[in-house]
Amino acid sequence: MNADRTFRQPGRWAVLAALVVLAVVMLFPFVIVTLNAFKSPAEYSSGGPLSLPHGFYLDGIVAFWDRVDFGLKLWNSLLISGVVAVAAVVLSVLNAYALGIGRVRGRLWILVLFLVANTLPQEALVYPLYYLSKEVGLYDSKLAVILIFTVIQAAFGTYLLSSVLGQFPRGILEAAEIDGASRRRMLWGIVVPISRPTLSVLLIFFFIWTWNEFFLPMVFLISNDNQTVPVALGVLQGEKMMDATMSSASALLGIIPAVAFFLIFQRTLTRGVTVGAIK
Amino acid sequence: MAALAAAALALSACGGSSGDSDSGSGGSAEGKTLTLWHYETGNSAMGTAWAQAMKDFEASHPGVKVKFEEKGFEQIQKTAGMVLNSDEAPDIMEYNKGNATAGLLSKQGLLTDLTEEATKRGWDKLLSPSLQTTAKYDERGIMGSGKWFGVPNYGEYVMVYYNKDMFDKAGVKVPTTFDEFTAALDAFAKKGTTPIAMAGAEYPAQQLFYLLALNKANRAWIDSFELYKGKVDFHGPEFTYAAQTFSDWVKKGYVSKDSAGMKAEDMGVAFIGGKFPIMVSGSWWFGRLQEEIKDFTWGSFLWPGQFAPGSSGNLWVVPEKSKNKDLAYDFIDITMKKEIQNLLGNSGGVPVAADPTAITDAQNKELIENFNRLSTQDGLAFYPDWPAPGYYDVLVAGIQELINGSKKPEEVLDEIAQPYNDNLADIGN
Repeated sequence: MNADRTFRQPGRWAVLAALVVLAVVMLFPFVIVTLNAFKSPAEYSSGGPLSLPHGFYLDGIVAFWDRVDFGLKLWNSLLISGVVAVAAVVLSVLNAYALGIGRVRGRLWILVLFLVANTLPQEALVYPLYYLSKEVGLYDSKLAVILIFTVIQAAFGTYLLSSVLGQFPRGILEAAEIDGASRRRMLWGIVVPISRPTLSVLLIFFFIWTWNEFFLPMVFLISNDNQTVPVALGVLQGEKMMDATMSSASALLGIIPAVAFFLIFQRTLTRGVTVGAIK
Repeated sequence: MAALAAAALALSACGGSSGDSDSGSGGSAEGKTLTLWHYETGNSAMGTAWAQAMKDFEASHPGVKVKFEEKGFEQIQKTAGMVLNSDEAPDIMEYNKGNATAGLLSKQGLLTDLTEEATKRGWDKLLSPSLQTTAKYDERGIMGSGKWFGVPNYGEYVMVYYNKDMFDKAGVKVPTTFDEFTAALDAFAKKGTTPIAMAGAEYPAQQLFYLLALNKANRAWIDSFELYKGKVDFHGPEFTYAAQTFSDWVKKGYVSKDSAGMKAEDMGVAFIGGKFPIMVSGSWWFGRLQEEIKDFTWGSFLWPGQFAPGSSGNLWVVPEKSKNKDLAYDFIDITMKKEIQNLLGNSGGVPVAADPTAITDAQNKELIENFNRLSTQDGLAFYPDWPAPGYYDVLVAGIQELINGSKKPEEVLDEIAQPYNDNLADIGN
């Protein structure tokens, strides 16, 4: 019956058609990258970017992996993104608990400050951060990048979570207070478990955002042993030449982990989004 | 949470300790490491030659290890100033020649003065005067005179690549004069083939424009334009001829009207795909053409005229904070040796101090002999975007208008004169 109605309404077809077009547009770059990743440079030059590869040319991917020691870069990215995601969520929760539920004086202004900090372009932050990290001896260390991104991501997280927690059902908290629960107990025992879906979404976003960061890691991770995946991909862009097939191979290697992570946590993500919608 | 805190502590601990040990080991005498950065691909001519140079260096310096790190071009471009000002600076690195790059760093005191080494080790004898232009910078950071801050290992120049099969089929001979060259272009255009592969959105268009201007120019004009040694009249015969001729060539179909939005990569792929008989571009294409052109025979010849865009390649520089300056000088010296230079030439690069008889491949030989000819006739004219910061984009925009025909040649000249003169005022000339 449901299906009947679906087919009768022309509006639904239009939506479906629009979604299909959108999906094709979104997937097109991935298809191009995948096609070219498996082409030999000569095939690319004679056939152009849109031709189909004649065989399964894996040399580009293998050569790139060896050239930049990709396994190490993956581990660096994983470590940095993972630590940042967890630390930024923890920091956001602590901040938001004070601002959203604790009703700190002047919290509106604090939130505005966080919002402004969020809109600052990273280029403006580079020099101050460079001098600070040099002063404390953290220049060219993963810890510098972890600290910087924990703060940057937590600024957004605080802003978002504070407004979510501002709507937190007061009754539950008052009941807990009457039962004699301490503030700490209320945070870890009540607030965190109930807002878990939102926190998971934040965690996933922080991970993917940090994973994709290019500019600050490029500035702060000088030695090749510390570099992350996006910085390693930059090695292929020469002064005048680009190696299209190897760039495609590296791009493919670079996005696979982020896509895999997304697919694994996709259910959490949709659940988190719908929980928010029902509220 | 506890695990996380522990992880963070562990990280901070190793961050601190590795910093300490770095600064500690730099001073000690034994077990030295030469930290070296460059951004050439491993299989390119420079990558091949320098890999051999590292081996030779380790052989002649027992107990010293070379720690090589391949960097991205963009990373070095954007972060060199910061890296060289910190303790993480490498002992020796490849860096871009030019006022805005090596010149700027030399002015900031981040590079070591190499003048003494250059004379002592004879690098000044090996490099021709026009190659030395990019190695020396004055106290304002402007190239051409002053102290040595870098040493180039290779050269580059713009030439004419041609598709021999298409030339034969059309009955066109390799031109030796400019008139023969235009006659060849005309012959292709009459047959309905666009002769020149072009890319208006990137450097190729401005290099062709500059080549045309150079056909009316002399060394004094080039020194005025590039090194601020005199006034340049943008409505003088040189640029007027270039703008007018470029615009005519588009109208006559020597250069496609659709090329305004093309990138250099598109141009190269089109030439490799056999769609155009001629590509006017730099020696940086050589290795790729050699590797990827399988379906036709090709060759190269010098642009008909005394001058062509070209210069030394990028430089070896020694950061002021380098911990092993003497080792760095030794390494540069090895890269200038005949064996390494010959290897560079045999791998498809343009060596600056090779023995021409040691180059075996015919195409490589042609490339190097043409460069030597250009260099000895004092024909390296640098690049049109060098004189002012951001001038590259000014030229791209101006010449795109020539290709589109949206502005008259005189208007385009006004447009490109303005930023040039503004820059002159900025540096106080």
